[in-house]
Amino acid sequence: MGAAPVIAIHIPGPLRAYCAGASQLSMSAHSVRAALEELQRTQPALYRNVCDETGAVRRHLNVFVNSDNVRDLDGVDTTLTPGDVVTFLPAVSGG
Amino acid sequence: MTDRVILTIGTKKGVFVADAAKPRRSFALRGPFGPGVPVYSTLIDTRGTPRLYASSCNPFFGMKVLRSTDLGKSFTETKSAPAFPKEDGRALANIWSLETGGGKKDLWCGVEPASLFKSHDGGDSWDLVPGISNHEHARKWQPGNGGLCMHTIILDGNRVHLGISTGGHYLSEDGGETFRASNQGVGAGFAPDPYPEFGQCVHKIARHDDAPGRLYMQNHGGWADWTGPGGPRPDIGVLRSDDYGRTWRSIAKGLPSDFGFPIVVHPQDADTVYVMPLEGATRTCPGGAPAVWRSENGGESWSRLARGLPKKQSYFTVLRDAMDIDRLKVPALYFGTTTGQLWIGREGGEQWDCLFDSLPPIHNVKVAVV
Repeated sequence: MGAAPVIAIHIPGPLRAYCAGASQLSMSAHSVRAALEELQRTQPALYRNVCDETGAVRRHLNVFVNSDNVRDLDGVDTTLTPGDVVTFLPAVSGG
Repeated sequence: MTDRVILTIGTKKGVFVADAAKPRRSFALRGPFGPGVPVYSTLIDTRGTPRLYASSCNPFFGMKVLRSTDLGKSFTETKSAPAFPKEDGRALANIWSLETGGGKKDLWCGVEPASLFKSHDGGDSWDLVPGISNHEHARKWQPGNGGLCMHTIILDGNRVHLGISTGGHYLSEDGGETFRASNQGVGAGFAPDPYPEFGQCVHKIARHDDAPGRLYMQNHGGWADWTGPGGPRPDIGVLRSDDYGRTWRSIAKGLPSDFGFPIVVHPQDADTVYVMPLEGATRTCPGGAPAVWRSENGGESWSRLARGLPKKQSYFTVLRDAMDIDRLKVPALYFGTTTGQLWIGREGGEQWDCLFDSLPPIHNVKVAVV
């Protein structure tokens, strides 16, 4: 496997307090899973908001690669290509 | 500084803080803190400089513990919240109870799925308490309508009483190292066996320092008319123990319903206990007329306290942690409703007034004099 592509993580407003106010993070990752592992290593406070203690993405969060929900792709094993934007968004629910 | 009466009000949309001078004529409201996020548990820690805690249970981004060191003018997150070890396989779903422990900065925390955590540093770090969290029964407990929650933690010297819905009452007599189910006389209406070893839907447990060994329990009642396997089981909803929770007996006779959620003991009289009966089928006030019921003889008889409360067309619910009583000489009761009203029952519940009438649905009310 070659060098991991450089991708962007878009950070929704409520989570920016957990990564020094950044709205976007840049990293190299071959897959969504690799991006999450990188987040766990470099941004542990942010990671805890995205994944629970079992390592699963929180139940009411959706993960998008560009405009596609990874649920409709290969889940966290979805591969990433250079310039992809990964976005974590709360599911529309509640009252 | 003059004594203040502080209320913490956990709601579906964050935590509010209200305070008043000791006469309690009017309360000033602050908040919401952690806005938009459900708060199921609050704690007013009066050891040393008062600290306020609130569980902020974000369904999207996970659980946080909020702490205030300025009497609720501001809250910040503690450094961490309880979390299961990764290899455990369980994930924290809610934080249901926060209580002070024996050490100066010790806190205990009951969570969903029903487990217990302990902090030695005021909530900045947490350790799983394995004696109950990994109990042989733990994977057999079932969630009630509110989830599989550990909602009651009572410390009494080396004894630890836990209330779990639906798990029942668990007792430790070695400071929380080991626990055993202790439910003799605690009924269940939703299983063929009316008195199982464990699995009861305990709603809340209360005790008083002046009555060693005595405990009061609001259990899941409302099964007087059950005609299925095991037969009817009337009056299993309100119970009392006089032997540290080893055995329990009904004290529900005289109440309009043995279903309810909170149970509260008078701060100066261990024989005076308060419940809020609800219709079992609807979880709302009987006949649409809310009332707190008080016993002044340890549950032998009950009287209705409703002066100032609506007389009709009120169908709210008062949840398990949404009623408390202050510790002033003539105490006031407080309860919050699922329709967002906060009521004060002055003179031990003799006269009720609505303090706030349009808060979000209220999960939790705690009071302290600081």
